[in-house]
Amino acid sequence: MSAERAPGLLAGDSLNLRLARRSLGLIALCLILLPFADLAITTHDPWAELGRMISGLLRPDILATQSLPHAIALTIGFALWGTLLGVVLGFPLALLFPRSRLLRGSCAFVRAIHELFWALLLLQVFGLSAVTAIAALTIPYAGIFAKVYAEILELTPRAPVDALPEGVGRFSRFVYAELPMVWARLSSYTRYRFECAMRSSVLLGFVGLPTLGFHLESAFREGRYAEAGALLWVFYLMIASLHLWGHRRLLPWIALGSLFLLGPWPDIDGALLWRFVSVDLWPNPLLEGNWSGLWQWFGEIPDLLPAIGNTLLLGLMGTAGSLVVALLLWPLASRHFGNRPTRMAGKGVLILMRSTPELMLAFIFLLMLGPSMLPAWLALSLHNGALIAFLVARHADAIVPGSHALPASSRYTYELLPRLYGGLLALLFYRAETIIRETALLGMLGIATLGFHIDSSFAYLMFDQAFFLLLITAGLNIAVDALARRYRPREIADTPGERGHPGREATC
Amino acid sequence: MSVEELVRFDGEALGHARHTVLADLTLGLRTGERVALLGPSGVGKSTLLAALRRRLGQRAAWCPQEHGLVPPLSVYHNIYMGRLERHSALANLINLLRPRRDAWRDIQALCGELGLEELLKRPVAQLSGGQRQRVAIARALYQARDIFLGDEPVASIDPHQARRLLSMIQRQHATCVIALHQRELALTHFDRAWGLRDGQLILDAPARELTLEDLDTLYPDAHSPDASPEPA
Repeated sequence: MSAERAPGLLAGDSLNLRLARRSLGLIALCLILLPFADLAITTHDPWAELGRMISGLLRPDILATQSLPHAIALTIGFALWGTLLGVVLGFPLALLFPRSRLLRGSCAFVRAIHELFWALLLLQVFGLSAVTAIAALTIPYAGIFAKVYAEILELTPRAPVDALPEGVGRFSRFVYAELPMVWARLSSYTRYRFECAMRSSVLLGFVGLPTLGFHLESAFREGRYAEAGALLWVFYLMIASLHLWGHRRLLPWIALGSLFLLGPWPDIDGALLWRFVSVDLWPNPLLEGNWSGLWQWFGEIPDLLPAIGNTLLLGLMGTAGSLVVALLLWPLASRHFGNRPTRMAGKGVLILMRSTPELMLAFIFLLMLGPSMLPAWLALSLHNGALIAFLVARHADAIVPGSHALPASSRYTYELLPRLYGGLLALLFYRAETIIRETALLGMLGIATLGFHIDSSFAYLMFDQAFFLLLITAGLNIAVDALARRYRPREIADTPGERGHPGREATC
Repeated sequence: MSVEELVRFDGEALGHARHTVLADLTLGLRTGERVALLGPSGVGKSTLLAALRRRLGQRAAWCPQEHGLVPPLSVYHNIYMGRLERHSALANLINLLRPRRDAWRDIQALCGELGLEELLKRPVAQLSGGQRQRVAIARALYQARDIFLGDEPVASIDPHQARRLLSMIQRQHATCVIALHQRELALTHFDRAWGLRDGQLILDAPARELTLEDLDTLYPDAHSPDASPEPA
């Protein structure tokens, strides 16, 4: 009787082997394409620059920024009103969401365009005003709320409805037997979204709206690192103390109070707005029905294909990088490894990295390393990797290991990773959509992705071109989302916690 | 016979879309009859009750198990839902924010009888299993119908209280069909017993003609020493 041969490397049909092949494929593809990416370091002495930044962070100068309280109030006010109006629009849409394909498509479209791009677009009509800031958050958030609320409502337990007496109207049925059953989930998601809105609101400063990000950007750009450090601390404190001031009873008062700070409100010229929407955004040859002219118009868009290629490449690199970072970092915050001080430190680092928006991280790396894809790659990988690592560590903490005697390396490879890997990969694929969205956006810092051309088209007042590029960006985003959805592991082995929708808390 | 027959099944099959739970069912429910529905769990008691509920429509109050309640809402609101169809959508909405005075008074009285008087404002999620069942019964009583259909309404309630609650239900409803697993109660509080086993109605007899041994035959494991259904 011949003994069966041991299977070859990564051969086999178990779930984890399939996942391993899938992720190694992703990393291999990234490595093959890496030579096409521009990864040059162009600054003279990046380490010295980093040292100056860190010393700024350690010796912050809180008094250097003028009108800091105003910037903080605006940041909170924009985030709060953006979320609030997003809920007001998104909730009714969520009720229609399962029934209308057109609605689902439109929501996917408004979601696919980053808040900052919306801000750039709205800026042309409403100027640097609160209308621009709030609408830039409200529009994509309405699309997001519509989708996520619809998903939550779909999971409403049926039993209370079945128990109702005959003849109860739809509305009464909804508010008594359906809505209360999912209220907790709806409000916790809304709360989480508000936290995302805070980050986005800070970022609105990068297009010139006077939030915290505006001062942060100028302080960094002008090398005033003590001031920049202080602003960063303020930002982290604001996010970390959210549970203190973001109380349900307090928020309405903050919302009302902030109204007084949000002005002056712009005069909206209806005719001008209509002209912008009906004429300025569309290529002239298209409006005239001149098809050969339209062809020529296409030809005049600079570097369209390289920009798309760069966006996809950077997205791929960011996804692969996040995978590696997440695999390396999650043990830092897990109770299965290290001791209390190392875990505290590890958690702290992960929270810092996931709270810092990619754009801000990329901007900081850009100042250090000079303009290339490298800062963007680092920012995407670190931010998303840390975010995934944090969630994976939380899942890991719910696992009770079978044997305690294993050394740390075997505990990682044999006990924990096999149970966590499916969840980790699912999070990564959920995240892929966000990564590609951010990738396009990072172009605003001068990296040659689509965002760069969108930004410069707006700068040259070529609205038709900017709008066309926005459409391309949205299309790309929707396509990548569909692709990621296809390759996302469905049968996740052993992930405690939010079963079915592991990615809901990882989408901003 | 002068007594009106409310429902009649004549060799019918009951079940879900593709799966027959009760085959060839023949039985009738008459006005003024108190029926205990017995049988091992999963045999189709709920299916039969659901069919009765469909046939009787607005004439029957319905008391499902506790999972029919809405845990985040208060006891008051859960009971109020028994009459949700009698008020306009707007009145119902306002009631969520500020209880109606008349409904509050009625429900308070009802809760007094059921030992829930201190709990009107408490969310159902914070109640014990037995308290939840009493809320479910209160909701069915609040519906104020002629007929009572109950799916194990006294399952996790102690025997003494179970008797009291059954008497209360029967005082308000001359006709009732109640699924039970306490066989003794079936003999003491009901006129008739229906027994289901293996997808069939194998027992349909007046309670006074039955003994506990007759009821034991419904349960496949009744003769093994430790598997008899919880003693009541």
